[in-house]
Amino acid sequence: MVSFILLAAGKGSRVEQKMPKQYVSIAGKPLLLHVLDKLTKIQEIDQLIICCELEYSGLIDTMIANHYPGLAYELIEGGATRQQSVWHGLQVCKNETVVIHEAARPFVRTKDFLRLIQDEMPNVIYGADIPFTVLKGKEFVEDVLKRDELVNVQLPQKFVTSRLKEAYKKALANKQEFTEDAGLFYTYCEAEKIKVLKGLQYNIKVTYPIDFLVGEVIYREYIVGREE
Amino acid sequence: MTTVIITGASRGIGRATAVKLSHCSQVDNMVLIATNYDGLLETQRQMSSGVHSELIVFDLSQLWNIDQMVQSIYDKYGSIDWLLNIAGYADPQLLLDTTIDNLSQTFTVNFFSMAILTKAVVKFMKLNEQSQIVNVASTAGSTPRPGWSAYAASKAAVINFSETLSEELAEYHIAVYCVSPGRTATDLRKRLAPEEDPTTIMQPEDVAYTIYTLLTDETQCLAGQDLIVRNKKM
Ligand SMILES: NC(=O)c1ccc[n+]([C@@H]2O[C@H](COP(=O)([O-])OP(=O)(O)OC[C@H]3O[C@@H](n4cnc5c(N)ncnc54)[C@H](OP(=O)(O)O)[C@@H]3O)[C@@H](O)[C@H]2O)c1
Repeated sequence: MVSFILLAAGKGSRVEQKMPKQYVSIAGKPLLLHVLDKLTKIQEIDQLIICCELEYSGLIDTMIANHYPGLAYELIEGGATRQQSVWHGLQVCKNETVVIHEAARPFVRTKDFLRLIQDEMPNVIYGADIPFTVLKGKEFVEDVLKRDELVNVQLPQKFVTSRLKEAYKKALANKQEFTEDAGLFYTYCEAEKIKVLKGLQYNIKVTYPIDFLVGEVIYREYIVGREE
Repeated sequence: MTTVIITGASRGIGRATAVKLSHCSQVDNMVLIATNYDGLLETQRQMSSGVHSELIVFDLSQLWNIDQMVQSIYDKYGSIDWLLNIAGYADPQLLLDTTIDNLSQTFTVNFFSMAILTKAVVKFMKLNEQSQIVNVASTAGSTPRPGWSAYAASKAAVINFSETLSEELAEYHIAVYCVSPGRTATDLRKRLAPEEDPTTIMQPEDVAYTIYTLLTDETQCLAGQDLIVRNKKM
């Protein structure tokens, strides 16, 4: 069985909306609900942990009561950073397998979760090709990176819970912050392999205002797959 | 197991649809809703005995009790697969003759009750692999007819509601159909046009046949559109 950490604590500061982006709608539906829609039929998930700002807990309770009455879930207070939010979630995980996803990636499909969960490897992530050239440097170019050796890291990701917790403790001790968990896990759990499944370009992270526009198209064409 | 709810099944188009669907091999349970028990009983009598049917005497204008009724249907059958919103009310009045009660009753039966019933049912339909909803609107919902403003507006609401839900629920594989019949030989029509010869207009069985065809059409290409059903012979 799987514990599922759903990150919904982001403040969405880069998106020019008043509400944090996970509560903002694409196709009339908040991003958080897009993700919940894909989760609730997955038998393997028997613990759902939602990390959120507690001031929005009432909103989430109402959303779940209206759309998924009877769904069991735990609301955990998010941390100041993404890493701290995951750390809070890990404290209550009861299973040895944890899947981590974020509300800002609404176009994940049920089958993407199932493929990750059912993969025989214990630590698995999704990664997409990088379609553009990436150079190192800020004000001046310092190096050329080979994009065919790089991967655009996506969520969802799956880890062995205890191993990820050990890695987190080391990262915390070193006061090192990561923007996602595969990097952290790789750095502090070197002995463990992390398998990369081919991710799709549709699984965007809604970050900028334009992503809400792009998201409408992705929803219509890819998630629903309907003609105009 | 396919469980179907039909409102307005005590006569007219609702009855003809219940009778037609009782011969559909895909249907296992039919829950028939209206306020007139004798009418429901007669519908049941005309239906194929090969299908399990349940009669529920329920006034759909009791909006606050709809949730509980749907919950009890779900508890009993374990799923709700098809919802047919056919119940309707018409008491057409000129604008200056109409009353708050008339406007309110028209919108309550034709629109609010079907919206609340649909909301209550969709909660369970989301758990299915495939579900279907048919809303019966009217040509009045898209064609102006003096004296029919309240009814026409309520049916326009049904049309727009159906089109919107078709988009909103596609992701959950819930197909939403909107059927708009023209003049049909039922009690409702008889009351409003007593001089009309009912044999010259469309029969409720014709509309029932269309609904049956939609529900058994696997392509679902006609979902989400206002489908006008008219008697070709007219
Ligand atoms: N006939 C036409 O020319 C025509 C044309 C276009 C659209 N339509 C639409 O087609 C649908 C069926 O109409 P019809 O011609 O078959 O009319 P009908 O013979 O008068 O039947 C109406 C049905 O709705 C039910 N109903 C009405 N108010 C209800 C309430 N408060 N609670 C529960 N059930 C209620 C009635 O049941 P009880 O009386 O037992 O409560 C009856 O079964 C309606 O939506 C109507 O607007 C009809």
